[in-house]
Amino acid sequence: MRSRMSLLEKMQNIDRRYIYLLGWIFVLFPLLNPLGLPVPIGRESRQWKEYIDNIPSDSVIVVSLDYGVSGMPELYPMTVATMHHLWSNSQAKNWQIVVCAFWNQGPLVFDTLLSQINPASAYGVVYGEDWIELGWIPGSETGMNSFAVDMWGQTPTDYLEQRPLSQYPMMENIRTAQDVDLIISFETGTPGLPEWLRQWNTPYGVPIIVGCIGVSVPGMAPYLDSGQLSALMPGLTSSGEYEILINRPGLAVAGLDAVSMSHLLVVLLVVIGNIAFFASRGKGGS
Amino acid sequence: MSDVLRRIEIPLIITALVALIQVIPYYFDFPALQGAANTASDWVLLIVNAAVFVGVISLGQVHMRRVQRRSTHWEYSIVLLVLMVVMAILGFPLEGMGLGLQNEQYQFLFNNVYNPLGSTMYSILAFFITSAAYRAFRARNIDAALILIAGTIVVMSNAPIFTSSAPFLIEWKNWIFDVPNATTMRAVTMGAALGSIALAVRTLMGIERGYLRGGGEE
Repeated sequence: MRSRMSLLEKMQNIDRRYIYLLGWIFVLFPLLNPLGLPVPIGRESRQWKEYIDNIPSDSVIVVSLDYGVSGMPELYPMTVATMHHLWSNSQAKNWQIVVCAFWNQGPLVFDTLLSQINPASAYGVVYGEDWIELGWIPGSETGMNSFAVDMWGQTPTDYLEQRPLSQYPMMENIRTAQDVDLIISFETGTPGLPEWLRQWNTPYGVPIIVGCIGVSVPGMAPYLDSGQLSALMPGLTSSGEYEILINRPGLAVAGLDAVSMSHLLVVLLVVIGNIAFFASRGKGGS
Repeated sequence: MSDVLRRIEIPLIITALVALIQVIPYYFDFPALQGAANTASDWVLLIVNAAVFVGVISLGQVHMRRVQRRSTHWEYSIVLLVLMVVMAILGFPLEGMGLGLQNEQYQFLFNNVYNPLGSTMYSILAFFITSAAYRAFRARNIDAALILIAGTIVVMSNAPIFTSSAPFLIEWKNWIFDVPNATTMRAVTMGAALGSIALAVRTLMGIERGYLRGGGEE
């Protein structure tokens, strides 16, 4: 009887080091032996794809990388997939894409992206005509406000070539938030959606879609419901679904097996803990 | 004269004026005030940029002191100081001298040191969350059971290993997200917004003085 209670107690209090070890094994296993599980498509990734597909021709799109390297595991795959999607359509639809960042590491993240994708050779888009990178805009929400009022004043030169914006044909008619038709923000925190809403969406009516990390997702629900947020890409699983939808399996799809296994471990541990909890209670334990 | 300059009313008036310059043009169309608000925003940006240098100096002072005193884990402070100086020099915007964010050494350190370290810090969360979920998700009472059920459904709905064989989990998760979650988050958001408005009004009226040294009670 005592040994049985002892086992139940142990099942309720597994040493965290064993849990960490199990976590490591569960994540490593699918990386070494990919499971290749089918991936059902959720509504968020479908809405995200449909929203981008339906962006009107001649639109000016601001893509903002509001995260640093710590957010890359979750946000970088969706950033890459979205840029593929945008660039592959930008010439046909005459979109003009302005890349910027309100997090200081955003441009460095985009450097990494450009080291893996050459938009000119992959999609034939021309820097300065179809897209431009303005770099980091300091000042958080104040910076967003100033950028909305005077984009040229906040970023007199571009980031990649360090030339005045007046030398780029596409920037001729892009000067304030009123010239922008859509914001796509990838973000891990502040500044993020609430700041965009206050400084761009409410005063200028610029629609916004957001890709965010999993822990931020619950906080996005009211803004989706109110229509202030037009589409949401919540975390790595949806990124994987989106990669499948645009026929470009990449980093997110590669990580989905690891996500599955880590979630399986969580569920197994929760089940074990609760079985032990109820069994010990039935036997008069605490 | 010095007594006049030290009067508590002066910072209170400056705060109220600066806040009103930002608030009024947001709600009303006053071109003159809008110009003043834009200028004030530019000042803020200058202060923010200056604050970066203050941050570097402060960080340097703190870690230099730790090294001098041989405090716990002072060795890490040396690593921090060395890398801070190296990254600052390599990233300095002097492209003519081969420096700047695009230079090879800077990119190498960013991609091969900073990037993996940052990703590792974030990924460690997975271990903590697994351990925390195991301990917290226990049906000790009705409330805990509800959280356990909702949490488990959301966890399972995000993993293809479950949804590929039980796609209804996605619908269940959508309902949890759309109804209980949205309702709760809306209440939290509106509560926080009302609190912010109250704080802003108190600050404008000079009642809230916490941002002044000592709360302005002298």
